[in-house]
Amino acid sequence: MSKVASMRRALMRTNTRLLLSAVMLFQCSCMAVVAFRTGHVSAQCLMLSAALPLSTMLVTNLLGKLWPVDRAILILTLLLDSVGIITLSAIARSEVTPRTQAIYSAAGIVAMFAGVGFMRLFRHWKKLALPLALLCLAALASPWVMGAEKNGARNWVTIVPGVLTMQPSEFMKPVLILVLAAGFSNRPRFLRCLPTLAFAAACCAVLLSERDLGALLLYFLTTVSMFYAATSNAFLTLAGLGMGAGAAVIAYRSFEYVRDRIAIWQNPWVDPENTGYQLIQSLIAIGSGGLFGMGLGLGSPRNIPLYHSDFIFASLTEEFGLIFATCLLAVYVIVILRGLVAAMNARTSFHSLTAFGLSVLLGLQTMLIVGGNTKLLPLTGVTLPLISYGGSSLVSTFFSMGMLLGITGMNARDETRDIDQLALREEVAL
Amino acid sequence: MKELRRNMRLVGAAVVIAFIMLAGWFSFTVFEQGAIWASSSRNTRLRATSAQRGDIVDRNGNVLATTKDGERAYISNAFARRALATTVGDDRGMSGTGVESFHSAQLLDISDSLLERLSALLNGKSRRGNTVELTIDAPMTVELAQAFPSGYRGAVCVLNWKTGEVLAMVSMPNYDPLDVSSAEDTAFMNRCLQGLYTPGSVFKIVTLASALENDPNLAGQYFSCAGTWEYEGGSIVCLGREAHGTVSLERAFAKSCNVTFGKLAYQLGFGRLGATAARMGFGQSLRLSDFTLSTSRFPSGSNNMSDLVWAGIGQSTVLVTPMHMAMIAASVANGGTMIEPWTVRRVVSNTGLVVRMGGSNGSVNVMRGETAASVAQCMRTAVTSGTATRANIEGVTVCGKTGSAETSDDKTVETNAWFVGFIRESAHPYAVAVVIEQGGAGSRMATEVGRKALELAMERG
Repeated sequence: MSKVASMRRALMRTNTRLLLSAVMLFQCSCMAVVAFRTGHVSAQCLMLSAALPLSTMLVTNLLGKLWPVDRAILILTLLLDSVGIITLSAIARSEVTPRTQAIYSAAGIVAMFAGVGFMRLFRHWKKLALPLALLCLAALASPWVMGAEKNGARNWVTIVPGVLTMQPSEFMKPVLILVLAAGFSNRPRFLRCLPTLAFAAACCAVLLSERDLGALLLYFLTTVSMFYAATSNAFLTLAGLGMGAGAAVIAYRSFEYVRDRIAIWQNPWVDPENTGYQLIQSLIAIGSGGLFGMGLGLGSPRNIPLYHSDFIFASLTEEFGLIFATCLLAVYVIVILRGLVAAMNARTSFHSLTAFGLSVLLGLQTMLIVGGNTKLLPLTGVTLPLISYGGSSLVSTFFSMGMLLGITGMNARDETRDIDQLALREEVAL
Repeated sequence: MKELRRNMRLVGAAVVIAFIMLAGWFSFTVFEQGAIWASSSRNTRLRATSAQRGDIVDRNGNVLATTKDGERAYISNAFARRALATTVGDDRGMSGTGVESFHSAQLLDISDSLLERLSALLNGKSRRGNTVELTIDAPMTVELAQAFPSGYRGAVCVLNWKTGEVLAMVSMPNYDPLDVSSAEDTAFMNRCLQGLYTPGSVFKIVTLASALENDPNLAGQYFSCAGTWEYEGGSIVCLGREAHGTVSLERAFAKSCNVTFGKLAYQLGFGRLGATAARMGFGQSLRLSDFTLSTSRFPSGSNNMSDLVWAGIGQSTVLVTPMHMAMIAASVANGGTMIEPWTVRRVVSNTGLVVRMGGSNGSVNVMRGETAASVAQCMRTAVTSGTATRANIEGVTVCGKTGSAETSDDKTVETNAWFVGFIRESAHPYAVAVVIEQGGAGSRMATEVGRKALELAMERG
């Protein structure tokens, strides 16, 4: 491209290099610590201590070369993913768990490239909205046909029995946001929003029937905030939130498991051996970690049921300590803020809303599960994005981040073009 | 687009603010409650941890618990070990109120002194937790356990009424911390802190204080007792239907006249008697810094006349822990000021640094000084010429009150024997509460244990 673009790149390079090297150092040293933690040196951990920083560098440079994406989001995404692999290496019962997570991450990175490519190639989004909506609904309903129940929610689909299962509600998150963004783009009036809102309501109804409360809450809140951003209709937004609150009250009245969840949240110490066990063990793990943590691999967060998925935040707080956990939240905030910046800079309202939806969803999901782990909110079974163990969530989140990166890339390209045009105009004027 | 951006900025800001609040809440709760969570008895880490638990020592430096070669060791003498088990606790966390459980965060030092952690890392030595120094006098506790009638259940606690230091807690039956599996039922409970007993006549201290608080002239008045008294809805009788005749208030207290105190409660009513009881801690959850007491109860919500009259003599649904009763006696001795009792003198780190100084966190005025003096005088009369003559010790002024609490309406059931008392001289500022389950009416046994406790405290103080 032009001189301006190359200068811009050079400027970005110094900052991103600093961030990149810090992240690589963190990944390498953490994995090395885990590898040498016991007398027996773990070959897998040693390999990962080289593979994590190298792949981070490779992916950053490759994606950065291909498209002018926001490298801060990219590097921090990879950092969060590696925090997951490191924590799992330190605490998981067998070495298979972190290995599987690493393989999922590799698949996720491929999905991220796909996400970037998708965002750039996908131009006729108005036409695609309807098929995507139908796909989304079909996929969400699929657990009823070929599903399995897990932890009280029927939200898993068996693809190959015993080998490959997946959670459609995870994969459909980016699709939901695309459909909503397409439906809400170009400042629609309320009537034109109705089909999209009906679609979102149908999604929520399906999720409710599968008892996937966490995903239900996320879908609902994302829809409401995107609706508000697109239409600035505060009255209807509040009405929607009120309806949600009303539905929550009805759910509390009519469903036993909702009441149980709330009761556990209010006071887990009533029944510390059964219903309150998870949450109490989570709190104990967090408390045992203290400010600086028990040390990588020195804690015993395995007492918490689901220590590797729903409660990974408690696990890593025990290992790394309060300060690190707070910094981790700050990393999420930075990613969200960069995502919002991308939303501000986008040229079309569709892209703007997509970036906005993706960032808000990331934020809501993180808050929901961190709040659940720390007894601020009732526990809902959602994953900690990019860190929790699990392929569906990881690949889907990577894909979402890829879409976000694609939008940042388009913004950067547009901006460069503007600057070039300005420069051209100046030359002409002179 | 402009409006869209504004809205997105708004929602984005809300999300970020929510995040900051989340991080703030998270840090705050961990800071506030992290140590409490970590020291919960549900924490299995406490059993297998890289850090060694620190020592527990008594007020004279006797080591009550230590870690040797990674194993927790207690006093070698089995009787002494058992006598102190409910106070010290055990490494399995069976006794939730024991120091091992209640102060396990201190013993393990999960308090994050980074410097100490680093130095431990560099030395290659395993980290050793803090030493917890108690106000408890171990030899005295053991002797008291010996003096406790064998085969009986119950509790003894001895306090310093001036400072609030707890000198001894005996809870029977006790258990061996090295062999928790063979422990008797309810042996893990520290009866001093967790045992809720019907106080019986020792509650007359509260009724008397309430009466004097509300009408100071009552001290000189006379009451007539025919051994039984009919009120609307029932009757109250003195022990053995003994008629005390016309008695002064002091005499009625010394002779433990039920009729007089039933009448006093009747005159006071639930409002005034309940207010005094509440001021003294009934119905309040007493979460002190070194232990938590089970909540003592007074039937304030009732409007049944029987409940009121019988509550005046500590029956009905009145329940109290021995420690709470000792605190009430201590407040009478201390001129009406109730001092928070405490058991941890100080916590000393591995490097000799004092991490925490113990001490009373506060005191409340539960009655006027004159009321306290009058109550003390009545308790003195009970010792010189009343029901508690066995508590008398030559050379000092012992004040006391006995009690025999019926735990059931069935008169054949044996009653719990109580003794609550203190030494009035501030040179020997000790207060004691004794309860012996099914220790018989007349509370002879309890009074003797109480005297023994005060003698021991004087000797060793």
